[in-house]
This record gives sequence, C-alpha cells and structure tokens, in this order.
Amino acid sequence: MSKLNETDIQGFVLRGYNFPLARYMFLHLADDDRAGQFLDRLLPSITTGEHWDDGKPDSTVNIAFTHKGLRRLRLPAASLLSFPVEFLEGMQARSAVLGDTGRNAPERWESIWREERVNAWLGVNAMSEQALESCCADMLRIMEETGGASVVGWQDAAALKVDGQLTTKEHFGFTDGFGNPDYLGFERSTQPGQGKLMPDGSWAPLATGELLLGYADEGGELPVAPIPHLLANNGTFMVYRKLHQNVAAFRRYLEEKGRQYVGGKEKLAAKLVGRWRDGTPVELSPDSPDPAIVMDKKRNVNFTFGNDNAGTRCPIGAHVRRTNPRDAFGFEGRLTNRRRITRRGLPYGPYAPEGAEVRDDEERGVAFMVLNANLARQFEFVQQQWIEYGNDSHLGNEKDPLLGNRDEGGSFLIQGTEDPKNPPFLCGALPGFVELRGGDYFFIPGMTALKMMSTGTVDPR
Amino acid sequence: MTNITGKTYAMNAITPMKPWKTWILRGFFFLLGHIKPLQADLVNLSFIHFARWVVIRRDSFPRLSAAQPAEDLQYDYLLFFSNFNGTWNQYIDAFSAVLGKGLNLVWFWSEKYPGAVPVTPFKQYIARVQFETDFYYTAYPHATTNDVKAAHRVQQALDTLADGSGNTSPAEFEQAYVRFLVSVQRDLGSTGLAPIGV
Repeated sequence: MSKLNETDIQGFVLRGYNFPLARYMFLHLADDDRAGQFLDRLLPSITTGEHWDDGKPDSTVNIAFTHKGLRRLRLPAASLLSFPVEFLEGMQARSAVLGDTGRNAPERWESIWREERVNAWLGVNAMSEQALESCCADMLRIMEETGGASVVGWQDAAALKVDGQLTTKEHFGFTDGFGNPDYLGFERSTQPGQGKLMPDGSWAPLATGELLLGYADEGGELPVAPIPHLLANNGTFMVYRKLHQNVAAFRRYLEEKGRQYVGGKEKLAAKLVGRWRDGTPVELSPDSPDPAIVMDKKRNVNFTFGNDNAGTRCPIGAHVRRTNPRDAFGFEGRLTNRRRITRRGLPYGPYAPEGAEVRDDEERGVAFMVLNANLARQFEFVQQQWIEYGNDSHLGNEKDPLLGNRDEGGSFLIQGTEDPKNPPFLCGALPGFVELRGGDYFFIPGMTALKMMSTGTVDPR
Repeated sequence: MTNITGKTYAMNAITPMKPWKTWILRGFFFLLGHIKPLQADLVNLSFIHFARWVVIRRDSFPRLSAAQPAEDLQYDYLLFFSNFNGTWNQYIDAFSAVLGKGLNLVWFWSEKYPGAVPVTPFKQYIARVQFETDFYYTAYPHATTNDVKAAHRVQQALDTLADGSGNTSPAEFEQAYVRFLVSVQRDLGSTGLAPIGV
C-alpha cells in the first residue's frame, strides 16, 4: 500500500486533532448558485490531511454535508441517487433501525435536527478561545459575503478541565479516546490492539476502504460509493450525535450500588465501562487501576477477550467489550473487523467536580462523531446489534449499560467467581445514563470532490 | 409468506449443478460428515440454528401422478436450507468473513457461483437463487437459539440446586447458591423484540 494522497483528504478524517476547543456550526445552504459560491470561497480555508511541517496551526476548518445539503449544491440527480440508502434517508428516518425511540426519539431532539434544517456541518477546532473566535468570524464573513449559507445552530465543545488541567476525560469521569482503528496507508504510528487481530496474535492495520471511499476494504472490494468516483474518492461518511449525559443519575447509581458491591464504587464503574476511570483496561487489570498500563502505548489498547469467555475479568456486557468485541466471538476477531468505526468529538458543558452539586437537566454531554465507509455495515450495526441488543454476546435483549436507550429498569450482570472478593453481581434498575438530542448523517468529501461541487462540475456520466 | 418470524430467519436456496459435478460434491459431503473438525466453524457461529445442504438428483424430483407432465431435467440441484437469528445481511456477512473456503467447496460446483469473497457478488448470487418461505412457525418469537439453550442450562442447574438443598445448612446453601450463580452467569440475558432488519 502506497501512501495516501493526504492533500486530497480532509484533515478531520485522517487525524483526531487533539485541540482543546471546537465549534461545530450547522449550516443551512442557499437554494441557488450562492451555495456553490460559498463553498468555493471556503475551499482555501479547509484543513487537509497534509503533514504539519511547521507545527500545529491555531485552528482547523472542515466541512461535511447531509443529503439535503448536496441537493442544494445542485449535484446531478444521477449522483444524488447513487448514495447509499441510509445516507439518503438521514439519521432521523433510521431511528427505528437505530433504536432511537422513546426518550431518544426524534420528537425529543433539538429543533434544528427534528426539522432537518441542517444542510452542512462546519467543524472548527482551535488551540485557544481567540483562535476559535477569529476563525469562526472568518467563516461567518464568507457566509455573509456570498449569501450562500447561514448558521442555524452550533455546538461548542471543549476538552474538560479537571483541577485546572486539560484532560481527555468525559463527564462521567473516564479518560476517553482510546482505541481508534489503524488503517493501511495512514502515517500515524501503529499501536498494538488498534487494527485487526491476526492469527499469530499480532495486530495489523485495517484495509483503508473501511474508512475511505475509493480504496479496497476488508472484503477485498471498493466500498459502496456515489458516482462518479471523483466525487467519492477520499471521502467518508460521518455520523453526528449529540449525546446528553445524566451525570447526576450516573453518580447516584454508582454511590448506591457501590455500597452493595464488594468491589466498591470505583470497581463497579470500571466493570460497567470495561476501563477504570483513568483508562486502565479492566481486562488487563481487573482489581485496580494501573497508571503504568495507561501510559504505555504498547499496552493500553493491546488486549483480547478470548481468554476471558466467562467475563470474570471484563464483564461480557461492559461498554468497551460490546462496542469493540475484538475476538470475543471467536474466529480470531474476523466477525468484528468489518464493524469498526473511527470516533471523533469532544465533551460539551462544564465539568462538574466529584462531590459538586450536579443536575441532569444541565447542558452536559459529548458531541460524538463516527467516521466510516459504510454507515449500515459499521455504525448502524454497532448501534443496533451491540449497543441496543445483545445476542452476539449471548445477552438476549440486554443493552449497553452505559449507552443503552432505556427508561429505568435495565440490568447488567458483572460476572464473577466463587472467590468472595470477586462475586457475580447484578446491577438492576439501571437508569438511562445517556440520551440522544439530535444529529444526522453527513458526507465528508475529499478536496477534489469539494472543488467539483463548488463549481457545479460533478459529472456522473 | 415471510422469511422472518420473531427473531428467526429461514433461508432457502436452490442452485443447479452439472450432473458430473454432483459426484465430486458428494465426495466432499462424505468427508465433511465424517471429519467433525471440518464442521467446527459452522457450528461455532452461534446465531445459526442449523444449516443443511441436500443434493436433489435430476431424476428424483417428485412426479405426483401420471397427469403431471414428465420433466427432462439437465441439471442436478443443490438445496440449501438454514435457520438463523439476525438479519440476512448479518448472516451472509458472517458466512463470507468466516466460512468462505468451506462455502466455496460446497457451492463451487453450482452454476455461476461467484465465490464467497468478495461479499457483494456473493449476496447478489444468494438473492438470485433464494426462494421464499411459504409457512413458518417459531415457538419462541422473542427468543434466539442462544436464549433457548441458555434457559435450558439455567433450568437444569436450578433443578440440581433445588434437589441438593433439602438438608443443607444456611452456610452450605450459600456456597451452593454462589456455585450455581457462577455456573449460569453467562446465561441470564433477557428476551424481547428483534431489532429491525436492514
């Protein structure tokens, strides 16, 4: 595999920027030529995957479109119809498939998502407040001067500051962002545990086509993609989900059940998630967190579940085991290699220190994004089969203990042994810890495609 | 007419084979039937209830009465019949990812079989040779085979616990109970509605 053409791929796709601040602007596009003019003016500002030889910039800009947005950009009908059906429909129409019902149903989403007014996502990441504001002001100026787009909403997000320190924690207190997959051709240094498991126990990068359109995927074919190939190449699909976190409910639950569980509150939290709050994988260290593992890139994502079929180390239903089961279903992980997703995003809302007063109706959660080549085979499968359902893990209809969409009443079993220090423990009456507030499916085009879209030269032939 | 009932999907497919190839396939089936490890991958896909391939010779199709016109078939046929939990796509994806080589040995002799990998032509092939289920019944529409098997194990373990606890002290019972719980702790999932197929 030769190197990828990084200048043709949007930077957001190739790397998590690790900037502390972000503003995701949601745009409504003009229903005429001005939408293309806006895009044309925007192009020079868009951050590509090109290597940063002079160090990190102060801010980055990336753009993605819903199917409605592509229509407003006047893509030819033959191209519009060639997109996969789930993208064509959008996330709201897929709510039954995704289990986004009840308290996660579209009726309860924020109005911009419910009314499907979002045509484009304009993501700005920045090193400082000043850089963020100045970059966003530039974007607004382009929108105003061309009249091609207007902001119908935005989401500010920021790395959480805990004790004055920037962290990679999320609101429940867990260090987040481990374990994005490696892909062939990516410059990023490979970490054992991040690609696919090989028969000899080593790890190899996934085929590029599991993330990027226009490259062979793990099945040895090109991903389903729109025509012409210039529109598709170096692009990918993005899921945006605003996930509200009920921090008060989570803390209350841990307090209450932590008093009943022999291992105590912190071990209970670790068993629910599959990582201790500092990030230590429970599979590697089931009895206590171990900072040495967290710091060690050769170890912090390098584990399998094949020798823990009983779940007595990492419970079978734990969040990380459900969403990335590795070899848990046997076959050296081959049942999971085509269900991998790349995650992006940052928390929103202020961090509530442990012990501080906190309410569930406070604005707090994570602006969560998924990148994948095939929404149905990757994101939707993980969401439907592994988060909202459990048959692959022999858990029947049980849901992910953390992300599962439920009114109070779910259950989660911590498998244990006959050793009184590690007994089986049933977590009953699980409340809904996370709620969906809206989102949609987006297409992140490559740079060539953006140029063609801005000039109205997409030719489906 | 439906291929789905509750959490179960029934797949029927029938593919034509040139008669001289049928003998090769029969030889392979003979080996597969007698060498258990060869079946391991199929058995280990836990969402599959069963899968069966049957050769139907061209002269063994039923002729119900003399009034039914006699047929002169040029091909033997391979009937594939399988019940599984989950969606059609999930099933074929798993087949292609895990059982590709074995499937190729079975279906290679059928006309126009494209191979199990890559999966898109394989799916197109299955869709083309699949025929629909006329009648379908399931006793437990809210359960998968995993659930049913688990329920049997829990019942059996519970009966054993009950039988053995007539004269035990509270401390002995506690021990026996923990042992019971540990023995069934992978079998305590719940039942309910199936996810929607995509």
